[in-house]
Amino acid sequence: VNAADFAEDCLVRRRIAICVGCGGVGKTTVAAALALEAARRGRRALVLTIDPARRLADALGVEALGNRPQPLARATLESLGVPAHGALSALMLDMKRTFDDLVERFADSAEARERILRNPIYQHASQALAGSVEYSAMEKVYEMWEREDYDLIVVDTPPAEHALDFLEAPQRLLEFLESRIVHMLIHPAFAAGRFGVRLFQHGTRRVLQLMERISGIGFLQDLSEFLLAFEGMSVGFRQRATRVRSLMLGPESSFVLVTGPGRESVRQATGFRDRLEGFGVPLAAVLVNRVRIWPGGGSPPELADAGGDVDALAAAIRAACGPAVPAEAAARAALHAATGYAALVRRDARAIRDLREGAENAGRFWAQIPELAEDVHDLAGLARIADAVFRAPSEGTS
Amino acid sequence: MAPESLLERRLVVVTGKGGTGKTTVSASLALAAARAGRRVLVAEMTRDEALVPLLAPGSAPAGYQGREIERGLTAMCIDPYSALAEYLGLQIGLRGLVERVLSNRGFRQLMAAAPGWRELITLGKVWHLEQMTDARGAPLYDLIVVDAPATGHGVALLNVPGVVVSAVRAGPLRRNAQLVEDMLTDPERTLLLPVALAEELPTRETAELVARVRDEVGIPVDRVVVNGVVGPPFPPGLETLDALLARLPAGERCGALPPAGVLAACASFLRARHELNRGYVALVGELTGLPVVPLPYLVEGLTREAGAPDPLERLGRALLAQEAA
Repeated sequence: VNAADFAEDCLVRRRIAICVGCGGVGKTTVAAALALEAARRGRRALVLTIDPARRLADALGVEALGNRPQPLARATLESLGVPAHGALSALMLDMKRTFDDLVERFADSAEARERILRNPIYQHASQALAGSVEYSAMEKVYEMWEREDYDLIVVDTPPAEHALDFLEAPQRLLEFLESRIVHMLIHPAFAAGRFGVRLFQHGTRRVLQLMERISGIGFLQDLSEFLLAFEGMSVGFRQRATRVRSLMLGPESSFVLVTGPGRESVRQATGFRDRLEGFGVPLAAVLVNRVRIWPGGGSPPELADAGGDVDALAAAIRAACGPAVPAEAAARAALHAATGYAALVRRDARAIRDLREGAENAGRFWAQIPELAEDVHDLAGLARIADAVFRAPSEGTS
Repeated sequence: MAPESLLERRLVVVTGKGGTGKTTVSASLALAAARAGRRVLVAEMTRDEALVPLLAPGSAPAGYQGREIERGLTAMCIDPYSALAEYLGLQIGLRGLVERVLSNRGFRQLMAAAPGWRELITLGKVWHLEQMTDARGAPLYDLIVVDAPATGHGVALLNVPGVVVSAVRAGPLRRNAQLVEDMLTDPERTLLLPVALAEELPTRETAELVARVRDEVGIPVDRVVVNGVVGPPFPPGLETLDALLARLPAGERCGALPPAGVLAACASFLRARHELNRGYVALVGELTGLPVVPLPYLVEGLTREAGAPDPLERLGRALLAQEAA
């Protein structure tokens, strides 16, 4: 698969691109670069970020504008080569606000809404409930997708140990909300005390008794109150979670795996890839960020026998820089630096070799993004990343 | 003010975002402490064991039961369901009942979504380990190193006991959470060791972590480890080597050496990386107001080569170096 096909499929034909990968590999930056590339191809693109680096957030203009898309100025876009019909907006996810919005939308009465928003368990749960970041990110994607203001939404997923955390979050929340134990907890007979427990199955009753014994009754009362308030909105909530999931796994979405060349990143990326495949998720591309590339491309030369040429280099340095420069020391240091950098280039190539071969054998798009001398924190940096992915010069052998 | 020795604590919680190398730091610290004669337990909290493969490549997983890796160094993997089974067993004593409860479908669904319990039960297990004594009544472990999970800011793990103490009015849950919180906030026993990288995002996140830990959780933190720091690439007096090389005609070749332009590019890259690193190391110190312990970047990673010094030992020495100074 070449860059043009990948761009056509993921950035032009489909409507959602989901960037997955472990933390610390520059996933947010790559997601933003993909959105910029889509905009350059005339799409109205939105990048949804979870926790961007501050200067990148500043560059995208999303600071303090949590949870609402913020369009980039037309003049800025023009300078980046975005045509008149293309656009780029960025949104920084605010998890608490996304949950509150959901409660606003699905609560069956104003009173229920207030009860939920004020419940101490909700206030903790909306942030601590397993999978709530993942869920709120998916919910936000769905909301933006529904509005049809954007041709393409690029999603930067929360850093996770496992690729499936993101996909499984809504399912887990649903199973929880529909579980028998939740129904028991919100049953008035339970809330009133222990009367009527014989109505329930033996095993579940034991569980509740045990929970009460461990946690104390006050906690269970708060919990059942919270769940009771939540019950009224569970139908809407459930329908929505099911739709969000089908959208993510459906033909409108594609997945892009982002990793770095570090051993640990590659190990985790391989795990992500295998799990996504096992889940039947179509992985469109593997992008390796911040790979050290030999200047001019190709494999670094073997420098072990170059020591004899240091004198010649010293003479050249003396000729170019004059007698004040310690030319012999400089020549030795230059050889040392080239040897050191060559080791880094080989190390990265070795670390990503299997991942690369796997992607090529599976017919996936594969690209490496060269490590730049500076951190990417501005729009020009995003443009350079997009160029590396989509307009790489024909690669040397490595 | 120089921080106290890492070896004088009972519990060191190593935290940091994914990719900062906190597992490597945990392993190095545990190894250094064991070789300094301490009885050490190192515990990780992920589903995939990564510590044991670092400490003893190719050996069997340590699991929840734990395994002695070498004299004085035990590794274990605290998974929340095993910890829950053990806790319920201790609380109730009826093993049959515990098993029935744990295999109950409703209970499993509840636990899969319920917030906080994983953190609480895992820290509860750490507390339990900290309390364990040998036949003479001395602590079973002099030092427990915890490799905290990478998800979130790490604060999520650590403020759970406090949240439980404030949200639950009475009962055994509250009592147990209080014991855990007392341990975590005791400066005589516990230290939080944040691990950062000399890059923008980890620098900012570490500063936020330290601020939140001070304001919200109250866990002692007295230094920040910055991992993968690239040292000066050129000898003294040649700090601008890349600029010197750039004055040569870019295409000029000397024998088997790469063209001058390539040599200049290599030198320029190494210098830029070093300067960027140095800037962020300074920024970590400035933003947190804490001493910084830099660990060297290892080109060959953690691969052990015959005859070469063990990279974990090298990092362990660097971790404790400031204390000697």
